[in-house]
Amino acid sequence: MASEEESAVKEPLDLIRLSLDERIYVKLRHDRELRGKLHAYDQHLNMILGDVEEIVTTVEIDDETYEEIVRTTKRAVPFLFVRGDGVILVSPPLRTA
Amino acid sequence: MSGGAEKGSATKTPADFLKSIRGRPVVVKLNSGVDYRGISSQILSFSCSFLFVFVASCILACLDGYMNIAMEQTEEYVNGQLKNKYGDAFIRGNNVLYISTTKRTLADGA
Repeated sequence: MASEEESAVKEPLDLIRLSLDERIYVKLRHDRELRGKLHAYDQHLNMILGDVEEIVTTVEIDDETYEEIVRTTKRAVPFLFVRGDGVILVSPPLRTA
Repeated sequence: MSGGAEKGSATKTPADFLKSIRGRPVVVKLNSGVDYRGISSQILSFSCSFLFVFVASCILACLDGYMNIAMEQTEEYVNGQLKNKYGDAFIRGNNVLYISTTKRTLADGA
């Protein structure tokens, strides 16, 4: 039972643990994305990110043409505490499996 | 006499199912209507009545009691369109609507 996976990832949170001090991508609810260096996390996926770029995607409907206008707003944050319940997906930097 | 109706089946409880699909290609659908589906190379087309559909082609690396999921070779589909690829991805369990295995080798091109 124990030896089905030989990789260092035994449980999903190990994927996060392996990403400590690396730049990660975080997808959040409400069309928000973050890229930053992972300094700390816990079991709720609360995270401390450093040197963060936040990308907010908004969709507006043009009043006249009713076309959807997708806007992305970026901002830089030096340090960020992210509450875990907003997290959808976390992706570490590409590593060779 | 015996209580177990399906003794021959390897999968008896949801947890057993989840244990049995580690390392397999899966589709993971999120509550938001997002689908993450997994197979190393194939993508099944997926009909979805949700507003947004993210589908990811991925291999399930592991999951835990919260249904947190670690996946490899993950592709994210929104409304049937490939939006993103991740080498590895962690999905927080509370977002998961279902996890499905994708046995079929090929399906309608997505």
